[in-house]
Amino acid sequence: MTQWMVLYRKEWLELIRSSKLIWMPVVFILLGAMQPIMTYMMPDIIANAGNMPEGTIIEIPTPHASEVLAQTLQQFGTLGLLIIALISMGTVSGERMSGTSAMILVKPVAYTSFVTAKWAAIVTITAISFVLGYGAGWYYTAALFDTVAWQDAAGSLLLFGLWLSFIGTLTILFSSLLRSAAAAAFTALGTAALLSIATSLLPKALAWSPGKLAGLASAQLTSGTASGMWPVIGITFVCIIAALAISVWSLRKYPSIEAV
Amino acid sequence: MDSISQEKLLVLIAPLIALQLLLTLISLIMCVRSKDLNGPKIMWVLIILLGSLIGPVLFFAFGRRSS
Repeated sequence: MTQWMVLYRKEWLELIRSSKLIWMPVVFILLGAMQPIMTYMMPDIIANAGNMPEGTIIEIPTPHASEVLAQTLQQFGTLGLLIIALISMGTVSGERMSGTSAMILVKPVAYTSFVTAKWAAIVTITAISFVLGYGAGWYYTAALFDTVAWQDAAGSLLLFGLWLSFIGTLTILFSSLLRSAAAAAFTALGTAALLSIATSLLPKALAWSPGKLAGLASAQLTSGTASGMWPVIGITFVCIIAALAISVWSLRKYPSIEAV
Repeated sequence: MDSISQEKLLVLIAPLIALQLLLTLISLIMCVRSKDLNGPKIMWVLIILLGSLIGPVLFFAFGRRSS
């Protein structure tokens, strides 16, 4: 356990040194706050667009506060996912390339703690950024529209946070399987896109797929209940553990670039 | 548009503008001071300045060569 804490602290130091700990929360806050403001100013933006014929009248109904917050979640589902994939794409492959992993793993360090420390650091920074960003979105929705019940907001926060952690885990998995960091990021994003599309196309067959998490988070916001969320949460946890196990196996088999 | 006046909206948005400026400034300083960039420095300065939110993200993700 103490060894794991040392590795975790090393990952934390890396996050600070590479300034990820500064820019990622800032970007998430901007991302979360932008959507309510854009929605609020939408009539003005359209009115000033300038390519409307004289006398055009556009009536936009004021969206419900929970819908605005659900749109904010969608922002995190696109740009947020991309950022998570970008920060975690080099976790294993980068260290393998630079030889750091070989240097650490000749010492009596368990492969499992090496990978899980990295994973825990990614999940921590994702959680910090997402809570701050979603909090900003919630604050601006409350200021410009109406307050969303904090229970619903917290429920959707946990559901969507799990989806984001799942993508982070997928990126670590592909980062340990593939040589290039960019390839890992884009394979993980592709898998995420495929999962969500497949889940929306085959809702019956894939009722338990992790791809449902984003939709469940929106449902929690707009209707107050996310029916059938427990099996999805369970399956997602199983998938995360399996992905971590595969990355440990891959690292054990190919600990350095010479062995690939 | 009737419930909140223009000034109040500005007061609300001000911290966000400050954050955006902070992000641009941090990435610009890091870009100018860095000696080991992926590609020409002037290209990264333009990316940071022109791509409001994406620019700094791209710089942080791809701009620097990790040592």
